[in-house]
Amino acid sequence: MGAVRAEFLKLKRSLSLVVVIALPVMAVVTGVANTLFSGQQPADGWHTLWLRVVVFYGLFPLTVGLAVLASLVWRVEHQGGNWNALMGRQVSSLRVVLAKTVVLTALALALQVVLVGGVTVAGKVAFDLPGFLPPRYLLVSLVIVVACVPVVALQSALSMVMRSFAAPVAVALPGAVAGVFLLMAGPSALSMALPYGLVGRATQLGTGAFADGGGVGAASVILLITAALGLTAVVVAGATAVLERVDVR
Amino acid sequence: MNSFGRAQHNESVSNAIITHDLGKTYGDRPIVRNLDLRVPEGCVYGFLGPNGSGKSTTMKMLLSLVRPTSGEVHIMGRRMQRSTRRSILGGIGSLIEAPPAYGHLTGHENMRLVQRLLGLDQGQVQRAVRTVRLQEHLDKRVRDYSLGMKQRLGIALALAREPRILILDEPTNGLDPAGIEEMRRLLRYLAEQGITVMVSSHLLGEIDRTAQVLGILGNGRLLFQGSREQLFSRSTPDVLIDTAEPERATTLAARWSAVREGHSVRVPGVDQAATARLVSHLVQGGVPVHGVRRQEQSLEDVFMDLTGGRGL
Repeated sequence: MGAVRAEFLKLKRSLSLVVVIALPVMAVVTGVANTLFSGQQPADGWHTLWLRVVVFYGLFPLTVGLAVLASLVWRVEHQGGNWNALMGRQVSSLRVVLAKTVVLTALALALQVVLVGGVTVAGKVAFDLPGFLPPRYLLVSLVIVVACVPVVALQSALSMVMRSFAAPVAVALPGAVAGVFLLMAGPSALSMALPYGLVGRATQLGTGAFADGGGVGAASVILLITAALGLTAVVVAGATAVLERVDVR
Repeated sequence: MNSFGRAQHNESVSNAIITHDLGKTYGDRPIVRNLDLRVPEGCVYGFLGPNGSGKSTTMKMLLSLVRPTSGEVHIMGRRMQRSTRRSILGGIGSLIEAPPAYGHLTGHENMRLVQRLLGLDQGQVQRAVRTVRLQEHLDKRVRDYSLGMKQRLGIALALAREPRILILDEPTNGLDPAGIEEMRRLLRYLAEQGITVMVSSHLLGEIDRTAQVLGILGNGRLLFQGSREQLFSRSTPDVLIDTAEPERATTLAARWSAVREGHSVRVPGVDQAATARLVSHLVQGGVPVHGVRRQEQSLEDVFMDLTGGRGL
């Protein structure tokens, strides 16, 4: 717990907070602008708005945003003597990896909160949609956050190993592309086994896009959550083993 | 316990750090070779050597940040390896290569971070800050600190856990003379508090008066380990012979590698018996010998001698 609290303290004055706000706001603005320029109202109200904002956001920007956040969170550890200090303390490698994963998950949650807030405001202000965002999108949002966890764990592991800020982000891009291709090919175990595919799949939940049937059924939610937790466990175990074995430079 | 076991036990109790045949090779390039360190408890151990002699690599192996290619490290009687390092590291504070701290946070926030991370109480943090006399600067962001302040904060971060051993890699690097003197005082104070301080430097003058025990590394090998006095006694100063005929004296003493220096002749590496034979040889050869004396030698000279003239 102490390691997690320490990680949250490191976020103070961090650029990660800018990413957390700017990325979902940009996604909302893009989705709204596309709809406004087409001169049409969202045909199916909140559903159409959600689809236009979240599906594209889930294909590339979300993955890249999570990669940037992971690079930001690890960048400070690669500066000065911080890596030697990190490895020269009694805090176990597992706690180090878990603490980074937890803080990145919190940032992924914040991304989703801003996104939901942005969609709600856009729906009311730009399109004067009736009522509020239906509760099922809150459930979908929760599933998206859970599906982000293996991505942040993987990006965290990459940023841990690579001193470069950009290199892990560069890995995330083809990862996201591979995820899109897998989703376009239809439902498969492979798309669920790749963290980037999994998060893309979660953002399509209930939209009817790509492989999605359009509903938010218990089976698909449970499958997504189970896959996310399983992948996270594998990635965290792998990252811990690497951190434990490698020598400092 | 057999006699070997008892000897090993006694050695472990009196020495905070012991290495046996410690070595590190990168590819086919040996960095550290056959190192047998003995760092007594509660002393300041000066770990000296030219840049690139393997000091940082050795310190990283002591902390298990780098795995040795050969040999063993024992800290407070426990073998240091990957499976044990995290528990042993609880008793060691360290500062390796560069001072650690998060530049975007203030000194106070950095201390609070370590407090949270290691579950320390406020008293431990305050004592560490007071020890390095940084309490006036805690509200500044670390990126605005001078190098000396960063070094002191790095030591405070290492001290906060109240370690029994402190391993500091070149803590005086980049400090001005006042900062170096401050660091010397701090190291002496810490040793007085019972902390074993191992401190490295490539500059002898920075730590020779602070350290009770010196270890000198050259090309990855331990050239010397012991007290300052022992270090002096290891080296044989040159003999200077004053004579009215230095040219002839130099020729007669050629087999002792004599070199003319003005009206004197310098003869290196001769012990007392050899000096007697040399003088006798010169006198028998008709050279008027006016005086025979040993060259005054500074610790720097001895260090240069041991390290092959590198690093000072």
